[in-house]
Amino acid sequence: MHILGVVVSLVGFLLEGALLARLVATRLAKSFPLYFSYLGYSFCGFLGLYLIYWLRPRLYPTAYWMFYLVSILAEFAVLAEISDQIFRLYPALRKLGRAITIAISAGLGAIYVLPSIFGGEGEPRYAAILDFALRTAVTKAIVVVVLFYLARHYRSELDRNVAGLMLGFSIYLAMLIAALAAGKLLGPSVGGSTLWVMAPLATTLCQAVWTYALWEKAPARYSKATSPALGADSEAVALELRRFNNELSKFWQR
Amino acid sequence: MFIYTAIAVLFLLLVLGSIRKTRRPETEERPPEALHVNAAGGRWLELSERIFDPADARWLSDELAFPHLAATLTRARKQMAVRWLETLRSSFDELVRTPALNADEFPGSDAHIGWRMLWLTFRFKILISYALFVVKTLGPYHRLIPAGTWLSSLGANKLVLRPAAPAHSRVWR
Repeated sequence: MHILGVVVSLVGFLLEGALLARLVATRLAKSFPLYFSYLGYSFCGFLGLYLIYWLRPRLYPTAYWMFYLVSILAEFAVLAEISDQIFRLYPALRKLGRAITIAISAGLGAIYVLPSIFGGEGEPRYAAILDFALRTAVTKAIVVVVLFYLARHYRSELDRNVAGLMLGFSIYLAMLIAALAAGKLLGPSVGGSTLWVMAPLATTLCQAVWTYALWEKAPARYSKATSPALGADSEAVALELRRFNNELSKFWQR
Repeated sequence: MFIYTAIAVLFLLLVLGSIRKTRRPETEERPPEALHVNAAGGRWLELSERIFDPADARWLSDELAFPHLAATLTRARKQMAVRWLETLRSSFDELVRTPALNADEFPGSDAHIGWRMLWLTFRFKILISYALFVVKTLGPYHRLIPAGTWLSSLGANKLVLRPAAPAHSRVWR
């Protein structure tokens, strides 16, 4: 079980390295800056953890949990990237995904995630950390579902890169939620062993999907109905939005 | 645990279903479709001035003494007003759903423009929803902002209320 966890984790690490190199080669790193930063952080973190694991094994648990807790927050960068990419082609909605991500994360963070940190007095540290990670993963899953709903509602068509990014992250979140719930239920000994394999497995599967989806840059997105009245720039759309709002505002002044 | 496992499975199913529906075919090359009609332009907007003008109903009721006809006209105007607002909303939705030619044309430096446009979108959505609610429940000639006549009894002299609308004006009472 222990070796399996290490091997799976190593495969994920190698995939991550390959993907990072590929993102640089295809210049996708420039198109997905937040995601690229997250991958870079994750890759360097894993590299550091491996070095600690082999050179200073006694420090490994502390280093792992520190890295893990920061990763929980760093994963929001992937969500931010997804939310930016979904509506990138729609000038009026370009910030909608970001706004929704911030609103849901802040709202659920305050009423659902934070109580797991401050409310669990007397709870073992292991259970408290798992509870925090679990609730954060559920929050991210809710954000992803809402983003998917909005993408469908506004008929935003996802290209291979963005769809793969969302799918990979969703697989990771789903597996993580199930693994963390199992880990919490089974306790530190059995649950810890389960998590030792399941968490890297979730990461590796996610990396595999990401590597497949982001290996090549998707063709440039095009307009299917671009009005010459609107033009193709933000200012023209902003003018149209203002016109609509002004028209409606007349009723308020009557 | 089972609840969370169910959440995980349900989440994955939802995502897989959504991916299939939102995925864009890569090889397909479609020509630009026909342009949509911009409902916020031209004579179409002038129609609203007639729809929301109470002068005709008032003329029927006060000057010709046909209150029944005035009520019928008001009902018809209410339906037209609802349709007008719904068309305006549809046209707005088409505008926000219209993609730009190329996403790469937009630099990251126009972040404040993006937030500003999102605010305009939200504002419009809220206003049109409220306007539809008012028209559906109170009719096309009602003010969107409550008149606040009750304030005068509290001595709020600074809030000067608009006098009764003259005939053929565009005032919503």
